Amino acid sequence: MNAQVSLTVSDLQGWYGESKALHGMTFEVGAGEVVTLLGRNGAGKTTTLRAIMGLLRKKKGEIRFDGEDVAGRMPEYIARRGIAYCPEERGIFASLTVEENLFLPPVIAQGGMALEDIYALFPNIAERRNSQGTKLSGGEQQMLAIARILRTGANLLLLDEPTEGLAPVIVQQIGAVIRKLKERGFTVLLVEQNFRFASKLADRHYVVEHGRVIDTLTAADVAGNLDRIQSYLKV
Amino acid sequence: MTRAAADNIVEVRGLTKRFHGFAAVSNVDLDVRRRSVHALIGPNGAGKTTFFNLITKVHQPSEGSIRFNGDDITNEDPAHVARRGMVRSFQISAIFPRMTVAENVRIALQRPKGISFHFWRSDSSLSVLDDRVDELLAAVGLEQMRDKTAGGLPYGRKRALEFATTLALDPELLLLDEPTSGLGTEDVERIAALIRSVSANRTIIMVEHNLSIVARLADRITVLARGKILAEGTYSEVSTDPRVIEAYIGGDE
Amino acid sequence: MMAFLGISPQLLFGQLLIGLINGVFYAMMSLGVAIIFGMLRIGNFVHGAQYMLGAFGAWYLLHLPDLFPGLGLPSLGYWWALALVPVAVGLIGAFMERVFIRRVYELEHAYGLLLTVGLTMVIEGLFNVGYGAAGQRYDIPATLKGGVNLGFMFLPYYRLWVIAAGLFVCALTWYIVERTKLGAYLRAATENPNLVRAFGINVPRMLMLTYAFGVGLAGLAGVMAAPIYQVSPQMGQSIIITIFAVVVIGGMGSISGAIFTGLMLGMIEGLTKVFWPQASTTVIFVIMVLVLILRPAGLFGKETASVHAANISMARPNSFLENGRLWLPILSGVGVVLPFLVYPVFGMKIMCFALFACAYNLIFGYVGLLAFGHAAFFGSSAYIAAFTAASWGFPPEFAVLSGMTVATVMGAVFGWLAIRRQGLYFAMITLALAQLVYFYALQAPWTHGEDGIQSVPRGYLFGFIDLEDTMNMYYFVLAVFLIGFAAIYRIGRSPFGQILKSIRENELRAISLGYSTDRFKLLAFTLSAMFAGLAGATKAIVFQIASLADLYFTTSADALLMTLIGGVGTLLGPIVGAIVVVAMQKEFATLGAWVVVVQGAAFVLCVLFLRKGVVGTFEDWLATRSESKRNAAGYTADLAAKGAE
Repeated sequence: MNAQVSLTVSDLQGWYGESKALHGMTFEVGAGEVVTLLGRNGAGKTTTLRAIMGLLRKKKGEIRFDGEDVAGRMPEYIARRGIAYCPEERGIFASLTVEENLFLPPVIAQGGMALEDIYALFPNIAERRNSQGTKLSGGEQQMLAIARILRTGANLLLLDEPTEGLAPVIVQQIGAVIRKLKERGFTVLLVEQNFRFASKLADRHYVVEHGRVIDTLTAADVAGNLDRIQSYLKV
Repeated sequence: MTRAAADNIVEVRGLTKRFHGFAAVSNVDLDVRRRSVHALIGPNGAGKTTFFNLITKVHQPSEGSIRFNGDDITNEDPAHVARRGMVRSFQISAIFPRMTVAENVRIALQRPKGISFHFWRSDSSLSVLDDRVDELLAAVGLEQMRDKTAGGLPYGRKRALEFATTLALDPELLLLDEPTSGLGTEDVERIAALIRSVSANRTIIMVEHNLSIVARLADRITVLARGKILAEGTYSEVSTDPRVIEAYIGGDE
Repeated sequence: MMAFLGISPQLLFGQLLIGLINGVFYAMMSLGVAIIFGMLRIGNFVHGAQYMLGAFGAWYLLHLPDLFPGLGLPSLGYWWALALVPVAVGLIGAFMERVFIRRVYELEHAYGLLLTVGLTMVIEGLFNVGYGAAGQRYDIPATLKGGVNLGFMFLPYYRLWVIAAGLFVCALTWYIVERTKLGAYLRAATENPNLVRAFGINVPRMLMLTYAFGVGLAGLAGVMAAPIYQVSPQMGQSIIITIFAVVVIGGMGSISGAIFTGLMLGMIEGLTKVFWPQASTTVIFVIMVLVLILRPAGLFGKETASVHAANISMARPNSFLENGRLWLPILSGVGVVLPFLVYPVFGMKIMCFALFACAYNLIFGYVGLLAFGHAAFFGSSAYIAAFTAASWGFPPEFAVLSGMTVATVMGAVFGWLAIRRQGLYFAMITLALAQLVYFYALQAPWTHGEDGIQSVPRGYLFGFIDLEDTMNMYYFVLAVFLIGFAAIYRIGRSPFGQILKSIRENELRAISLGYSTDRFKLLAFTLSAMFAGLAGATKAIVFQIASLADLYFTTSADALLMTLIGGVGTLLGPIVGAIVVVAMQKEFATLGAWVVVVQGAAFVLCVLFLRKGVVGTFEDWLATRSESKRNAAGYTADLAAKGAE
């Protein structure tokens, strides 16, 4: 594991109204790592990301980012500290063009990707920059949702099921993108159900069930433990 | 109507729903056999809840048709569909929070009596329903709480109350949207037992994430992925289907 | 063409020009209302008052030397006003957002509207105190005096300027919202504020700036309007209701839609003035009705996400304060002895308004629909009762029944129209429909315009009880009030009332149980209109007059205020509220125009600090007290049990 820690989540509990979704999530993400939260539907993975981002109001526990506890902070503060969020539903704005969507998140620090680099990474987006955001295909919308958080200079990317509902060829492209992001030094916390996809990218996997981490595997553990992983995720 | 149709309580053909050009459900054909427990499963974003909202007419389909008991209900409004005997539950407990537990159930029981527009009568005229209310509350283990305000119940009890209210209509077809989500183990077991006990003489369609519940209760399972049907069959059939495993765990690149 | 059938082009184009000018103002105003609604989800009723502030701002700048003699301030003319006043009004808007409006974002939409209604009453009331009903003159700036003769008509330069400048401002606003980065933030935050916050954008600050911008637009419109219309405290009052109708017609979906709808309706209004002058004040409301029938979502409306009825009832069902079987005899007893304690006329006034508020509570409290046009039922019924008693010699009981019947039918029709749209739109539609009735009564010959129907005979009840006798009259009103109160209580506690309650608590669930909730809402609305009519007709007989005030939106606001002060959805709240409001009106009667200010302040304070109302708060207090008593008793019992061991 890297010496430098980017994010530490300790004993995080969270509620949607009265329904408790997180029962003490504990995990950490080292700087420059790609880490996944794996688990079935309803395990609490998305809720965890929302809690980190400050979008889940009712919560207890500690969320440390670059040493600072941000658990009680507003989303706009957390974003400006350097965490960027790509939601599961993608959140492409229908009333904005592709380019407006891309430029919406404000630059919060030096070191974000340059526009040319982003367009090089996502050629489709460059082509369709003047279309309405939601006129894009599902895969293009996903690309746009990732692309728009790369400009800002945020270092920790929270990606919520980027492969959801996408065709295999698009899933491959997204995998390639995440690999390039890792090379560029981004830290990525990835929520996934698609284990085969995640296993090729991540340094570490946390298996989540009923709102807590029930198992941890490093990339090296994966090959020898396929059955164990299957039992967590399969039908 | 064909012979086969009589055995199917629901027949869905070519059902499609597009939001902003994105097809959340696309070209789904589905038959649900009468008196079966039919589960809909699939990864997030597969279109399960959208499908549910389509057949209960909360959403209007973009294309396709829905038949219930042989009648085309594609263009009916949700209240009508409910009156035909197709009643749904919700993901988030749907109760009337500031009414008592007994009143919650009574709201449902009162509908078939045909007095719901009677604004001149006293509500004591509803007391004839009390026995049935108590029966239903007993069935879900809420008889001790009949006069409590529903909003004050613990979450698991609210789900049970919602269940009792739904059952009060004695629906021919019961649609359960994630009946066990957000519940503790004990409550999950209670709800599972309830589903089993009421499934005897009616049809149930449920969306459920808890696969052990699905394995135990469902006669038939439809797996949705990306808005389309991926597989259909019994639990042992779908759970070994490579396409299903791929959808859940991910395919090879 | 019809246009030349005896109509001079001078008149035609003249009116079209006036229509276009009105249209420019409608466009600028509805633009602000639509932007504010889109971002803040607030129905900004105070927009009209903010427009009036703009006009007064211009007037103040002109009269600086007179207002502050000795300071040597210069008189600042139109162009200064155009630059300074919108900014100043915008700042006032920012201040209002910060201090008041921000507090209701997380509450039901209804409170946003109520709060801005209260603020409107305070602002307009204060200006009324200062300047009365008379308008102030504001001259056209010297540079824009005169005009050009186009041959077929004379075109004053100032009007040309207003049209050009107004269109430019609309286009600029469109550009800012649709084409700039700032506008992209605005559009994105309108769609999904949480995600925008998660990108690091300070959405609360954006909300404040958006409100300030929308309000600034109203201020600008006010400055531009000052030389055309008279600068008066009332100038914003009727325009805001028209603007709400414009917004209902256009739908709040698009900026260009708001601009187009505003301009178009102004022109149609102008044309109507040429061909059918009497209808010109109502034409926009009639168009609204047609649009609601033919295209319920509005011309440019996108179907809004389903907005459920607002659950704002403050009643605790088990409280003894909610037990009608207990309170009906108590109220009867109090009612019988009351005329020996207070002036009977005062008691009758309270009972009429208490019944009105109880009727209003039936739709607002029991069902959770923010109706804002109950003056239409109260006032129409008053007019019908007064007219049938005065002109046709109806005995009082038939006069009252006639009024009630008309109110009921109107309730059914208005309800049928308004229920097509949800949430804030429902309030806007009922308000606009009531305004339609108001303008009708202003012009129809049988209502006698500003005078109203006066000297209505009280007559003989059942042919032999002389109602000219105050005590007879009083006990008749008491009987009417008690019957109404009992009937409304029964409706609330009937099988029908149970369904109303379930709709208020969780409409989606009620639908999924098979109830076509719109039908229940419509019946409740009709019943509510019927009892409002009963109150209005009785009032007309008691006070022997039906006047325009009965139909004006302030009467609707009174019903709302009474219900709010007393406690929305409670049994006794409307009565308590009526006592408070009627007493307040009596106490402050000597203060004249201040009454409105006090009422507006009461509105604001209730929305911010006393949402449960007097009765609701009391019921809460009783419940908490009995709870803690029970706990204490349990604790003592525990101790006793332990001691026994």
